[in-house]
Amino acid sequence: MEKTSLRSQIGKEIKRGYHFIFIRDMPLWVAGIGIGILAILIFLWRYPWGISSGYGNWGNQLYYYLGIGKLAGLAEAPLTPWIHPVSVMNLAMIFGATGASMMKGQFSTYLAPPREYVKGFIGGALMGIGSSFANGCIEGGFYTAVGVFSTGGFMMMIGLALGSILGVKYLIWEMLNWPVKIPTQKPLDCKKTPWINWCKVYPYIGGGIYILICLSFYVYSAFDKTVVGGMAFFGLWVGFFMQRSRFCLQRTFRNPFMTGDYEMVKAVILSLIIYSAGSAVIKYGFFQPETHGIDHRFWMGSLLGGGIFGLGMVIAGACASSGLWRAGEGNTKVWLAIVGFCTVYPFTKNAVKSTALGPFLGKGVYLVDVLTWTWTPVFYLAFFLAWYFLAVYNEKTEKFVISL
Amino acid sequence: MDNLENVKADIVLDTRGLSCPMPILRLKKEMKTTEPGKIVEVWSTDPGSKKDMPDFAKKQGDEFLGYVDEAGYTRYLIKKGG
Repeated sequence: MEKTSLRSQIGKEIKRGYHFIFIRDMPLWVAGIGIGILAILIFLWRYPWGISSGYGNWGNQLYYYLGIGKLAGLAEAPLTPWIHPVSVMNLAMIFGATGASMMKGQFSTYLAPPREYVKGFIGGALMGIGSSFANGCIEGGFYTAVGVFSTGGFMMMIGLALGSILGVKYLIWEMLNWPVKIPTQKPLDCKKTPWINWCKVYPYIGGGIYILICLSFYVYSAFDKTVVGGMAFFGLWVGFFMQRSRFCLQRTFRNPFMTGDYEMVKAVILSLIIYSAGSAVIKYGFFQPETHGIDHRFWMGSLLGGGIFGLGMVIAGACASSGLWRAGEGNTKVWLAIVGFCTVYPFTKNAVKSTALGPFLGKGVYLVDVLTWTWTPVFYLAFFLAWYFLAVYNEKTEKFVISL
Repeated sequence: MDNLENVKADIVLDTRGLSCPMPILRLKKEMKTTEPGKIVEVWSTDPGSKKDMPDFAKKQGDEFLGYVDEAGYTRYLIKKGG
C-alpha cells in the first residue's frame, strides 16, 4: 500500500500545486480574469493601473543625471525608481516574468540580428510619442481607459487598429523585399554554459524572486511605504499571469490583421467586462473618486497617439506591458524598445504638457457624464458584443487580414 | 514527440533570433507556396512559438506534428494540409 503519512501527503500536494500554478500551460481566458481582478485591486489600492509613467520615471533619471532635465520639465530630481509606485510595479512585472519563465523553463536570452535592435529602439520611441499624445500607453490609454469609462480608450482603440495595419504592412513589405538575415552564430544553450548547468538552477532562482518580492511588501511597510510595497506585489502577479499565458495586448490589435486570430480579443473582452464592472462598483459606490483615471486626451490625442503607438508596437514586437514581461523572459530586442520608450517619452510628454499641443490633443472625458449610469452599461454591452462578432467574422472570412 | 527526431522535412525555415510575430509571418509566407502533404520545419528561439505554431497550423488547416527541443532553439514540424 502507498505511503500515506501526513508529511508525504503534504509533499505531494505541494508538488502538485507547484506544477498546477507554475508549470502547466495557462489559458488566455484565465489570465484575462486574473488581470481583470488585479486591475480592480490596483484601482482600489492606489489609482487605476498605468505603465507609461513608470517608463517616464526611468527616462527622467536619464534626463536629470545627464543635466538636461529642463527638456523633460524637471525642476528637481525625480523619485528614485524603487520608490516611484508605477516604476516599482513595472520592475516587479519584469521580475515576475523572469521568475515565472525560469520556473517554467522558458527563460532564454538569445541575440537578435542587428536590424531587429534598431527596430526595437525605433518602435519603442514611437510608443513613447504615442503614449505622450494619448496620455497613456496601450495599457493605461486603452485597457484601463475603457475599464474606467474614459472615452479616450475607445478613440485609442481605433488608432491602435490603424497603426497595427500600417505596422503589419511594413513587416510584410520588409519580409518580401528586405528580409532580415538570420545570424550564423549558434544560439545560447543554458545546459552547455561553463561551470554550471543554468537550466537546473533557474527554477530555484525563479522561486527565490517570487519569495523576495512578496517579502519586499513587508520591507516597504517597515519604511512607511506600504502603498509602494503593494504595487510591487500586484506587479509581480500581473507579470505572472501575462508571462504564463503570453497575454499580449499588442496581439489583440495586430493578429486580426495578420492571421485573423482573435484569441486575445476574447481574453481582453472578458478581462474588460470584469474590470469595468468592478470599476463601476468602485465609482458608483464612491470608494474612489469618479474622476480617477479620466485623463486621456479625447479625441485627437487618443486617436493620433493610438496610431503612432500601434505602428511602434508592431515594429518593436511588443507593447508597453508585453514589453515588460518579454524583457523579463530574456527577449533582448525588447530591452532596446524599453530604452527607446524611456529616451523619447519624457521629452514628448513635456512638450505636449507645456505647449499648445496639449489643448489641441484634447482632455479627459468621462463617459458616464455623457451617457449617464443608465445608458453606459447598455453601451458597453453593445460595444463588447460588436467587437466580438466582428473579430469572429474576420477570423472566418479573413476579410481584414492583410494578404502577403 | 520521440519519433519526430527521424521525421525528414521537405523545407527548413530558420527564424532563430527573430521574435514574435516574425516566425509566424515567415511560416505563413512559406506555406503559401508549399504543396499539400509536404513537411515544413521551422527553427525558432522565440519561446512564444510553442503556442503560436500549433495554433497557427490548426487555424490554417495544416497538421502540427510536434516539436523537438535542440540546444538553444526548437524545431517545429508542420505538414501542409490539403
